[in-house]
Amino acid sequence: MFRYSRWSLSLLLSYGGLIAEIRADAPVSFSRDVLPILSDRCFKCHGPDATQRQAELRLDLRESATADRDGRAAIVPRDLTASQLMVRIRSADPDLRMPPPDSQRKRLSPVEMAILQRWIEQGAPWGRHWSFERPTRRSPPVANAHPIDAYVRARLSREGLRIAAGAAKHTLVRRLSFDLTGLPPTRDEVEAFVTDDSPRAYPALVDRLLASPHYGERMAMWWLDAARYSDTDGYQGDGTRSNWPWRDWVVQAFQGNMPFDQFTIEQFAGDLLPDATSDQILATCFHRNHMTNGEGGRDPEESRIDYVIDRVNTTGTVWLGLTLGCAQCHAHKFDPISQREYYRLFAFFNSIDEDGKAGGGAKPYLAYRSPFVARAVEEAQGVVAGRRPLADATRLRAEAEFEVWLEEVVAAVRGGFQPWHALQARLLETVEGTALTQQADGTVQASGPDPRQDDYRLTAAPGVRRVTGLRLEVFPHKSHTDGKLARGASGEFILTDVKLQLRTKGRSQLRDIELSSAVADAEKDVGGRNYGKVQGTLDDDPRNGWTTASHDPRQSHVAVFALDAPLQVDDDQELVFTMLHRSTVGDANVGRFRVSVTDQAGPAVRSLAAMPLEELSGAKVTDAGQVSTGLRGRLLDQFLSDHAAHQQAQRELARAQRQLTEVKRAVAAQRVMVLSERGTARRTFVLQRGVWNSHGVEVRRGVPAAILRRPAEAVASRSDLARWLVSPENPLTARVVVNQLWQMLFGAGLVRTPEDFGLQGEFPTHPDLLDWLAVELMEQDWNLKHLLRLMVTSRTYRQDSRVTPGLLERDPENRLWGRGARFRLPSWMIRDSALRSSGLLNPAVGGPPVMPYQPNGVWAEMFMGRFRYQPSQGAAQYRRTLYAFWRRSAAPTFLFDSAQRRVCEVRPRQTNTPLHALTLLNDLSILEASRALARTVIGQRPEPEQRLRLLFHAILSRSPSDSELKVLVREVSRARRYYAQSVDSAQQLMEFGQPEQRHSEQVIEVAAHLVVASMLFNLDEAITHE
Amino acid sequence: MSNRLDDRTADGTAIARRHFLRRCSGLSLGTIALGLLEDRTSAVGVDSPVAIGRPDLPHHEPRAKNVIFLTQSGGPSQIELFDHKPGLSKWAGQELPASVRQGQRLTTMTASQKQLIMPARTQFGRYGESGATIGEWLPYHARIADDVCFVKSMVTDQINHAPAMTKFLTGHQIPGRPSLGAWASYGLGSENSNLPDYLVLLSKMKRSSDQPLYDHYWGSGFLPSRYQGVKLRSAHDPVLYLRDPRGLPRNLRRGMLDGIREINQMRFEQTGDPEIQTRIRQYEMAWRMQSSIPELTDLSDEPEATFEQYGPDSRRPGSYAANCVLARRLIERGVRFVQLFHPDWDHHSRLSSWCVARCRDTDQASAALVQDLKQRGLLDETLVLWGGEFGRGVAGQGKWDSPDGGRDHHPRCFTMWMAGGGMRPGMTYGATDPFSYNAVEDPVHVRDLHATILHLLGIDHRRFTYRFQGLDFRLTGVEESRVIREIIR
Repeated sequence: MFRYSRWSLSLLLSYGGLIAEIRADAPVSFSRDVLPILSDRCFKCHGPDATQRQAELRLDLRESATADRDGRAAIVPRDLTASQLMVRIRSADPDLRMPPPDSQRKRLSPVEMAILQRWIEQGAPWGRHWSFERPTRRSPPVANAHPIDAYVRARLSREGLRIAAGAAKHTLVRRLSFDLTGLPPTRDEVEAFVTDDSPRAYPALVDRLLASPHYGERMAMWWLDAARYSDTDGYQGDGTRSNWPWRDWVVQAFQGNMPFDQFTIEQFAGDLLPDATSDQILATCFHRNHMTNGEGGRDPEESRIDYVIDRVNTTGTVWLGLTLGCAQCHAHKFDPISQREYYRLFAFFNSIDEDGKAGGGAKPYLAYRSPFVARAVEEAQGVVAGRRPLADATRLRAEAEFEVWLEEVVAAVRGGFQPWHALQARLLETVEGTALTQQADGTVQASGPDPRQDDYRLTAAPGVRRVTGLRLEVFPHKSHTDGKLARGASGEFILTDVKLQLRTKGRSQLRDIELSSAVADAEKDVGGRNYGKVQGTLDDDPRNGWTTASHDPRQSHVAVFALDAPLQVDDDQELVFTMLHRSTVGDANVGRFRVSVTDQAGPAVRSLAAMPLEELSGAKVTDAGQVSTGLRGRLLDQFLSDHAAHQQAQRELARAQRQLTEVKRAVAAQRVMVLSERGTARRTFVLQRGVWNSHGVEVRRGVPAAILRRPAEAVASRSDLARWLVSPENPLTARVVVNQLWQMLFGAGLVRTPEDFGLQGEFPTHPDLLDWLAVELMEQDWNLKHLLRLMVTSRTYRQDSRVTPGLLERDPENRLWGRGARFRLPSWMIRDSALRSSGLLNPAVGGPPVMPYQPNGVWAEMFMGRFRYQPSQGAAQYRRTLYAFWRRSAAPTFLFDSAQRRVCEVRPRQTNTPLHALTLLNDLSILEASRALARTVIGQRPEPEQRLRLLFHAILSRSPSDSELKVLVREVSRARRYYAQSVDSAQQLMEFGQPEQRHSEQVIEVAAHLVVASMLFNLDEAITHE
Repeated sequence: MSNRLDDRTADGTAIARRHFLRRCSGLSLGTIALGLLEDRTSAVGVDSPVAIGRPDLPHHEPRAKNVIFLTQSGGPSQIELFDHKPGLSKWAGQELPASVRQGQRLTTMTASQKQLIMPARTQFGRYGESGATIGEWLPYHARIADDVCFVKSMVTDQINHAPAMTKFLTGHQIPGRPSLGAWASYGLGSENSNLPDYLVLLSKMKRSSDQPLYDHYWGSGFLPSRYQGVKLRSAHDPVLYLRDPRGLPRNLRRGMLDGIREINQMRFEQTGDPEIQTRIRQYEMAWRMQSSIPELTDLSDEPEATFEQYGPDSRRPGSYAANCVLARRLIERGVRFVQLFHPDWDHHSRLSSWCVARCRDTDQASAALVQDLKQRGLLDETLVLWGGEFGRGVAGQGKWDSPDGGRDHHPRCFTMWMAGGGMRPGMTYGATDPFSYNAVEDPVHVRDLHATILHLLGIDHRRFTYRFQGLDFRLTGVEESRVIREIIR
């Protein structure tokens, strides 16, 4: 609590985070001062919700609060002692005191009691909650001033404070550029503005940025979070959808400055407009961006109800700033919204021609052909074309090397070639008791107990330095049932899984070795998950596995397993090979077997055919020229499969080709989820306790009366609902939208609870200003650019963001706007900013989603390989984050504090954790930007210090101070010294990201400057809206 | 090393238990520091600079300081594992009486099929002095029968995985609420722990599970994100972005961080924004995490005996068994809440091979963890929970008499066990009807479980609320829930 001597009895209190002034002589405001207290402490039991109501008393209605109740009343205006409310809240008797001690509601503070006291003394004037009254516009406190500044200054001067000086020009151009385009200014843009002293310079800058093609993208990012837009369904299946043309519709709508009322109507009811265009129908995808649940066994109707509820709640949050969801199960406890009214809103969305399904079955769809695909295809073709020559050249080099190699092996295998090396076990173990004994040729025989299921484990040094594959031979034996393959009743075996691990002497932990494929000479032919195919031994699932039943059980059989990558085995290392017999019925353990390993790569371990070197040895040739064409080809395949440079070039080409194939799919019409009404409307019922199949009374479409009353026949369709939302009489929508725009520029809204303008939300810091802006928005035909221009041309916006300790103490959250807003940029803007600063940014607009870098395995871990993330190749990698593929269950890892896109979100998160630091230090996007920038400045400037100045300016839009420069010089020298001594490390540091970016001259210099650039990208200033 | 082991060797068990929280500041692992915590940030949507939990907590003397939640995702079958119903064999193949089913909703997988009773596929034994019934697929569990409390009357109201798991872990079926661990971390914080308050360990599996483990299961919902669980991956980056790029040595990274600190400090002097100071601290913490997290997850300093106790699978990094070892290490270091997830308990078919496979993954290590904590004197203050989001139905899915038979989801009863942290050991609480279908004695709803866990942590669930969008939310929601005092020592 603060006390200001200017007012004898005034209090500036902090209540629920809001600063309100209470002056002894000033009237208490019902809606600002009294209602929040009543709402928070009393309404739970004495409010709109009848089911929770105690003593039949309502304190949200004047009639009930002042009604005579056996000679007493809760509130008797101007009579404190007669007002039971005052008696009870002050009572020391726990049986009488309100709120009751066991109600989990806090006791009123002395200040709160004083407010109620003064209110009753002043006659207990009633009113409505502020946000349910229509905004009206009074003339600003100071004529001729910018209206925003007039309000802000008036408020500041009441506190004895003043608006701060303007921000430095380079700061201002950077701030404005981020706010209106989400990108930092280029060096030229900074120079142009800083050197232009004319009064037109700033307005011209504003105009230029509002017209920038990046304006629509920046605004779209706000809207996509609110719209919970995602490229996948969410939930278990998390299937991919193709709703991205809607994202482009949003960009275009903002870019073209579509009035917000029209923007609303098209998204709610574009399909119902007369002669609806396909773009108008596309707009309705807004209300299909919710998650969809296709989990097996789920009742689609239950899911459908969830979707409808999501639409109502999203409408509540985004347009009305109300937590409508509270009324889903019962009357809203605080706001005057009944459960019945909730389901009236529900009814607007209840007759969509949908059936609750997910994945590809989430009708209704619009077939929509995007105009933004041709560019993407062209780009993807460019990457393939660029990589092919490289791949070809690498192959030519490899083929030349092959000739040399061939000569060598011809000589080497002349005396014979041993393809497989039988493992001689150091340890043979079983879990359930089977006895295993090994013979000299490596064959292992089972004897003794024959448990229903068992695991065999064989530990052995491989005898070769490198292992690429394993061979398992299974033999019949006379000791087996009828001389077949096993000792169980049928004589057949079922091998459910195999595992390979590497053990290092002296270490207690094992390393799992991945097996990538398995082939066998005989398999039982089965479909689905069953016992037959050898591939089933690789998945740790006992419901499938390998059996040769149905083939001759008196023949030996063989399976070959390929390692995912060749394994180097040191002298102190051993292989551990485990065979699991865990089938459902069991009694099918292998009776006799042998395990061998090979060091031959590629095709040799992916088929059962004789290995190329085996054939070569058998062919008895004396020089390479005699090798047959067929064999030569197979030898070449094997050689290439082991050739690192060739493999890498091929992989990179293959990635580009895969991307091209993928992008080409976007050429055809995309299926976009949209709205359309079904033939017959569904009946709508109140859902008791919100349970999907628990029907209460039937309701028809309608709108909450407390917000803006309308007769039922006037609100019969979704378009009526949309028009009601943007009606000039609607007290909420314009205020809510203005608040979100303000928040975008200032980091926080005039109402600090942007999602809740209801009784439990915060009171506006500047109620008159909020209303003035809301009216302005409506009177200016919902022109968003007009509003933004108004905001950014205010002095309030242009203030310096520096803060003194004194001001920080008086107004830590900058609720009075006595300084510019300083807050960390959203993480998407940080990435976009790095792309722009480094020159890597691909400014193309629209088209299918792209995949910025993220660490390997994030999707695969979550979905056990069902989805794999393939970073975009070439220019597609450098698109703005807006276009990044959004998987609902695994949001992009490089974004932090971002909306989750599961349900709508309108309040930015601002946290500061070491995980964010790690992300910015090690994310490939930032590292690649650092590398590109390093290379650019080295190319531009020969003088070392100039290079550092350029780097600094590119990232921070200003020149470094001497002391800053000193730090840069020190760090670049440190890095240069290190890399000069360790050129290999410098080379290694270059080895990431796009191959086109990897190649580098002057590797030591580039590495040293990369380090400094990365440091600069991590500065607080670099990631902050100043 | 800033962990309780050292305290104990120096001062004896009792002191270590009482005072460890106050004693481990400024020491090595530690240095990871106050968890992965952000400090106060801008005015938007953030609470006050809490690093030590809520000042009004605990509400009463806590019984447990830490929690290990062994989450078995997919719905393990109580009928095969714990809830012995010898009378069922008489009913084999007969239709489930309507008086038992009482209109229970089925998933669409079995809704059209007759509900024919499939008796347990296992033999049961009675173990320990308490005579707990445990199925033969969990032989190691028999050894901890007298250490744990079985709750056989668990109840939920969700029948599909994602909503049920979301309910089980966040108290509400729709994603968006804070998870149990996030609530604990928010409420109790970690005065001086050197690791995040809430760590999540997922079993690395070869087989693709049909139920992805969504990060909202350990999310912070509307609580500040510092309270969300931090997932330790079994990949070579245990925490995303932890590793520096190849070719960047530590001394250059240190130089960069010095440069960042110095220039940020200059900026702070110019702008006066205290947020910059926070950022400087977070970058330093990031640097320290880069060495202390790998040190934590590297089990090579564990003696051979550990791996013998936890079983052969514990030698395999990323396995459930190895994660159990890691859980114990985290508890030793004072981490508040450790949550393991083992997927693939959704046995709609071939119960007798599929379910056995998951039992083998988890049985020995789960039991070893309880025993190990007990041997080290940590069990008294550590609550260990084992369970999944729902149980399985008595009717067979597929042919009830074929080896291919499995069981569908069942929300009306399932079994969990709990040990340590104030729980009554060697107890069985609640009971189901002869069909293991309805919890007929002392039913424990998921929210009662939540109330009980919070109670053990010293928190009154009714008073533990967080204001969001104008409402005071609590883990146990708006419906009545009760602390199950009968199972508390």
